[in-house]
Amino acid sequence: MPSVRETIENKEVGLIDILDVILDKGVAIKGDLIISIAGVDLVYLDLRVLISSVETLVQSYENNRKDVTSDQFDDERRALVDATGQPNKWTD
Amino acid sequence: MVKKVYLYGLVPTSEYEESVLPEKRGFDDEEVIHALPMGEIAAILCKLDSNAYTESFIEEKMNNDLEWLQKKAFHHHEVLMLLNKLYTVIPLSFCTIYNNEDSLITSISSQMDQLTESISRIYGKEEWNVKVFSNDEILKKKVSDSNSTIEAKRKEISSLPPGKQFFEKKKLDQLVERELEKEREQLCVHIHDELTAYAVQADVKKNWDKKATGRKENMSWNSVYLLEQNEVNRFLEEVKIQEQKMGELGLQMEATGPWPAYHFSRLGQMKK
Repeated sequence: MPSVRETIENKEVGLIDILDVILDKGVAIKGDLIISIAGVDLVYLDLRVLISSVETLVQSYENNRKDVTSDQFDDERRALVDATGQPNKWTD
Repeated sequence: MVKKVYLYGLVPTSEYEESVLPEKRGFDDEEVIHALPMGEIAAILCKLDSNAYTESFIEEKMNNDLEWLQKKAFHHHEVLMLLNKLYTVIPLSFCTIYNNEDSLITSISSQMDQLTESISRIYGKEEWNVKVFSNDEILKKKVSDSNSTIEAKRKEISSLPPGKQFFEKKKLDQLVERELEKEREQLCVHIHDELTAYAVQADVKKNWDKKATGRKENMSWNSVYLLEQNEVNRFLEEVKIQEQKMGELGLQMEATGPWPAYHFSRLGQMKK
């Protein structure tokens, strides 16, 4: 039987778990190692902004994974024809 | 063209000299990861093409290319996990990049005392993360059944005329919601206190939104512990005990680790 430790160690960690730690310093970026040792020379990002954008990204990524059926595709094409009023451009 | 430098972590030069760093491709697959000893501390880094890795490029990628972000975040993680196995390491945050090697040397050299202090603080210790997720429906039922304030209010309402009861019940629902939050917080603080007893240092971090975790349950607690290596097993046993106790109340616990000491290698004073 593997120990509790081994079980946890071998468990797969997700992207969010990883981002949670590898951006940890960035979250409290004030007085942080990166900023204080690098000064103006560092190429750094506002990681607080990044975290919120990751939250949005993960969500949109998941929403976009659904497959588009050909019926849906046709519906969308019809909608485009209506919206643009240019039937030649959107029909075969 | 002068190359940029991607810095993964800082390790004691003495430890680096004892264990060889295995050959590994760098951040962009072009360059190999190597060490740059600077006195007592050695930087583990790889070079980057200066033209390709501009600030706007990385920002663009991070914001619009989740696949890139995932690949690079895993790469950074993988390298740091390797370093953490081999050495006492101060891990750097994702995408810590310098414009050139000289700039890195100047920066690190000026912080040498604090860095060696930080190394000695995390030496022989492990960083573990514990997240608590709550199924509010289960906890809500418990709270609503057993909370004395709510019980008293409910009795009071039942003696009111029907018309008044409707509005009072609405108010009661809000009270249940508030009590639920209080109860959840108390339980998490209790878990945290129990776990902190095993730790050299402990800290509470920001909870992640459901959108980011992709879970049905809300993240109610996100905490991080610095443990002496020989305390880790006892700590994890405690996690298990708490897990069993809290499970009935709808709280799920998730421990991950050992992580490189991202949280506790931070420079400056930290309180427990």
